[in-house]
Amino acid sequence: MSHDRSNRISNAIDSLITHLVPGDPQDDEQTAQERHDTCFELVRSIFQRPGSPAVSSDVNHASDLIKRKLIQSNPSQALRFANLYTRLLSLPVLNHKWAILYLLYQLSDSPDPNEPLPLSPPRQPVQRGTTRHAEKESFSKGSTPVPSHEEEAFNDAFAPGGLKKLPPERARSGGSGEYAGTQDGESPTRKDTRDVSLKSTLLADNSIGFEPSETVLLRDLPFTLQGLSSTTLPFAKETVLKLPPTLPSPIISLLHALAEPSLLYRGLGTFVKSPAEGLLGQSLRAAINNELRSYLTLVATLEGQIRRALSSLDESAPRSGIGKAGVTLKRCVVWTREATMGLRLMSLIAEESRSRKGGQLISLIHSFSTSHGDPIVAAFAERLLVHVTRPFYDILRRWIYDGELSDPHREFFVKEQKPSDEDRKDWKTKGLLSVWNSKYEVDDAMVPSIITADFAQKVFLIGKSLNFIRHSCGDSQWVEAYSKTSSKELKHGDTATLDAWIDEAYKTTMRRLMELMSTKFNLFDHLQALKNYILLGQGDFIALLMESLAANLDRPAGAQYRHTLTAQLEHAIRGSNAQYDSPEVLRRLDARMLQLSHGDIGWDCFTLEYKIDAPVDVVVTEWGNRQYLKVFNFLWRIKRVEFALASTWRKCMTGSRGVLQTSEEKVLQTWKSTRGVLAEMIHFVGQLQYYILFEVIESSWTELQKNIRKEDCTLDDLITAHTKYLTSITHKGLLGARRRQYADAMKEAAAQAGAEAAGEDRNSYMIQLGELIRTMLAYRDSVDGLYSWSVSDFTRRQEADAQGLIRNPNAKHVHTPSMGDLGEGGVKSEFPALQERLKQLGSSFRTRLQILLGDLAYQPDVDMRFLGVSMNFNDVYQPVRRKAKPAAGAGGGSAGAGSGGQKEAEKADKVANTSKV
Amino acid sequence: MPSDERSEKQAAAQQAVDILHEISTILNCHLDRRTLSICISMIENGVNPEALATVVKELRKEGQEVQMQKLEAARRR
Repeated sequence: MSHDRSNRISNAIDSLITHLVPGDPQDDEQTAQERHDTCFELVRSIFQRPGSPAVSSDVNHASDLIKRKLIQSNPSQALRFANLYTRLLSLPVLNHKWAILYLLYQLSDSPDPNEPLPLSPPRQPVQRGTTRHAEKESFSKGSTPVPSHEEEAFNDAFAPGGLKKLPPERARSGGSGEYAGTQDGESPTRKDTRDVSLKSTLLADNSIGFEPSETVLLRDLPFTLQGLSSTTLPFAKETVLKLPPTLPSPIISLLHALAEPSLLYRGLGTFVKSPAEGLLGQSLRAAINNELRSYLTLVATLEGQIRRALSSLDESAPRSGIGKAGVTLKRCVVWTREATMGLRLMSLIAEESRSRKGGQLISLIHSFSTSHGDPIVAAFAERLLVHVTRPFYDILRRWIYDGELSDPHREFFVKEQKPSDEDRKDWKTKGLLSVWNSKYEVDDAMVPSIITADFAQKVFLIGKSLNFIRHSCGDSQWVEAYSKTSSKELKHGDTATLDAWIDEAYKTTMRRLMELMSTKFNLFDHLQALKNYILLGQGDFIALLMESLAANLDRPAGAQYRHTLTAQLEHAIRGSNAQYDSPEVLRRLDARMLQLSHGDIGWDCFTLEYKIDAPVDVVVTEWGNRQYLKVFNFLWRIKRVEFALASTWRKCMTGSRGVLQTSEEKVLQTWKSTRGVLAEMIHFVGQLQYYILFEVIESSWTELQKNIRKEDCTLDDLITAHTKYLTSITHKGLLGARRRQYADAMKEAAAQAGAEAAGEDRNSYMIQLGELIRTMLAYRDSVDGLYSWSVSDFTRRQEADAQGLIRNPNAKHVHTPSMGDLGEGGVKSEFPALQERLKQLGSSFRTRLQILLGDLAYQPDVDMRFLGVSMNFNDVYQPVRRKAKPAAGAGGGSAGAGSGGQKEAEKADKVANTSKV
Repeated sequence: MPSDERSEKQAAAQQAVDILHEISTILNCHLDRRTLSICISMIENGVNPEALATVVKELRKEGQEVQMQKLEAARRR
């Protein structure tokens, strides 16, 4: 039998030689035979070499080597090899399959024999014999030097007892050097492969069995990863995975690592199924569900791997040969690592999202994507963000292109205001409530961190404006056309484009809104009209109105009738330049009586009104209207005093040429001082009016014009500018209802002003001016009384003269004393009282004025200080500090009245005389 | 039925050679079918695969040398 076998082998060697070393037709028979013999010898010697022990007769080992090699160099072929290998195993014919495979493995990647030897140096044919001899020598000793290192290592590695010693360093480096020549770079990995295979062999030999075995665990693993209970790994509770107690601790720790994704998956699964309370919550669930799906795909792949590995297991091998199947628990842990991180992050987000909604949710995920150091986490969060923000951008789009807030779950950062809020009530009482600023508001907590606060404010304004245009300005056609033409898909990620679009939308809407305001609703015309009529800018109209109404308004308030008032108003309009104003404006002008109180006369109750309707009322608010009315009433009163004083002055002046002429020294003196005081008052009123109309109203108006004519003025800017305009008028026009706040806001000389303001009434100027006006009116009444007394005195004298003339036409001089006798009673009865009253009123006027001037001199506001200066330009009055009023103020005041009064009276007289001339 | 068994065996052997040839192609062994079947039969007869691999490599080298000589001879002529 053995003879037969060796025979067969030598036959095979023969045929191999003839096949591989083709004969040269040029050579003669002998040479060919010789060569054949040499080869045969060589082959024999190799076979007979003693140092070539049988390699480990493990069929799996050889295939494992091949598989590893292929996986490294050519993974797609690895699969093909696996198929071929299984087919080969199923064939019954061959007994030494492993050996054949090993042979192939050894021959793998060998150079193509049909190509000429590139590395071999050209050999001289003469030396052929000796060379071959040398070769023979070396063969007989062992092998070529290089393979010998290899061999040593292999011999060690595949000795039945495993690797006893590390391959010598020389062999290692030599081996890798050898391989680097032919297949550069691959050698180290190859060496690693060998190490791994060595280890796996070692492990296979040294493993201990446990129950349930790794195979069983692997079989159940896919179910566990999907969160399903299995016999070996049942889920005890929602968050508890029960591990079999019989396992050794390394396996337990592996299973711990594998249990994490399973439990996380279960938790996320229930989260995804839980109902969401908002669109963003829903989109978050959808995004997480998507991620879970890819996790399941991974599990499915894993399961496929496990199934295939299990089917190819060799039951007889140690540890059921699982080490060679390619799938182990450890490997599963590695494969699921990244997925576990994703699951961990998602479950963190899911947990946090329970207490948040809307913009906060986006901020949460965004914080992961921007401020997390781990790039994997950041990328994952970013990916999640794209899906989650979709509903948010939908809402945003609706908002900035349609101006509609379609946010059923209150997730957007713009929200409708609730009327129940405390602030809101407060506003309402202040009259600040309007469609513009109280329909929507920005909820700062809901602004997601993907957009800046600035940006949010812009977005808010755009939507608000569109909404306003649509609902309050009745221009929904434009809004629709606009949304049709410019509506764009907004998406997360491209911040620059988004910014550009928002800017564009912002500009367009603002422009449109301002255009509507100025053309369709004539906002600027209305503001102009308010200034002309309510702030008495239109002088001729006001003069005419006052003149025609004067007689009427002197009567008690109860006797005023609306139709007379409106008739007079109409008359004033017709008679003045106001008639050229547009009917749109004139239509809104109305005269009416304020709420009457007992004892009022018409002057106290009359008011002009300018009716403002929507949508202009967002600028001229209810509060603004009240401010306008306040200013009007104040101006009207001043105007009335001026009018009264002027008419009295006129009467005096005309009278002084006729009825007021008298020879009585006392009466003349009284008239003189009266005229002086009157002139003082006229001067005061004139200064006050000049100040309010020019210094205050006109300058504020210029400021307002400047602000609202700006290029990029928005409605908000307009409202702010208008409010500022009104505030400055009411404050500077001495009406400062909010004087103290204003002073605080001014922040200049805050301590001083504050200390001063603390001691004063809030309306102190208003009260002081009211007192002054009342004093002036009373003074005028007294002057009127004096006038009528003088007239009656004159009449009496005339009568007496006439009688005397009739009685004794020649004795004219006789009657003069008689007039004194006759008039004695009249002078005695009325004149001193009148004189006394005039004096008293005059000095009280002066005192009050000095106090006012004292207050004005210490005003932080320059304009108001200036008023004080212009009233007292020649230092006639001595301004009195309020604080010093109780003691020194009274004395100083009276002294000032004494000395200054004379001067002022003289001056006023002079003025009167010049005006007369 | 010996002849039947024989033919079956032959078919199986044929298949084995096919498969192994394919594997050798994947592995870039540059073995033709004939060489492969010779090697298989040698291994089936108990030849050490490692030694056989060495033999194949050596013989190839030899064959290449012969080829070179032939070329050189042709060039010289």
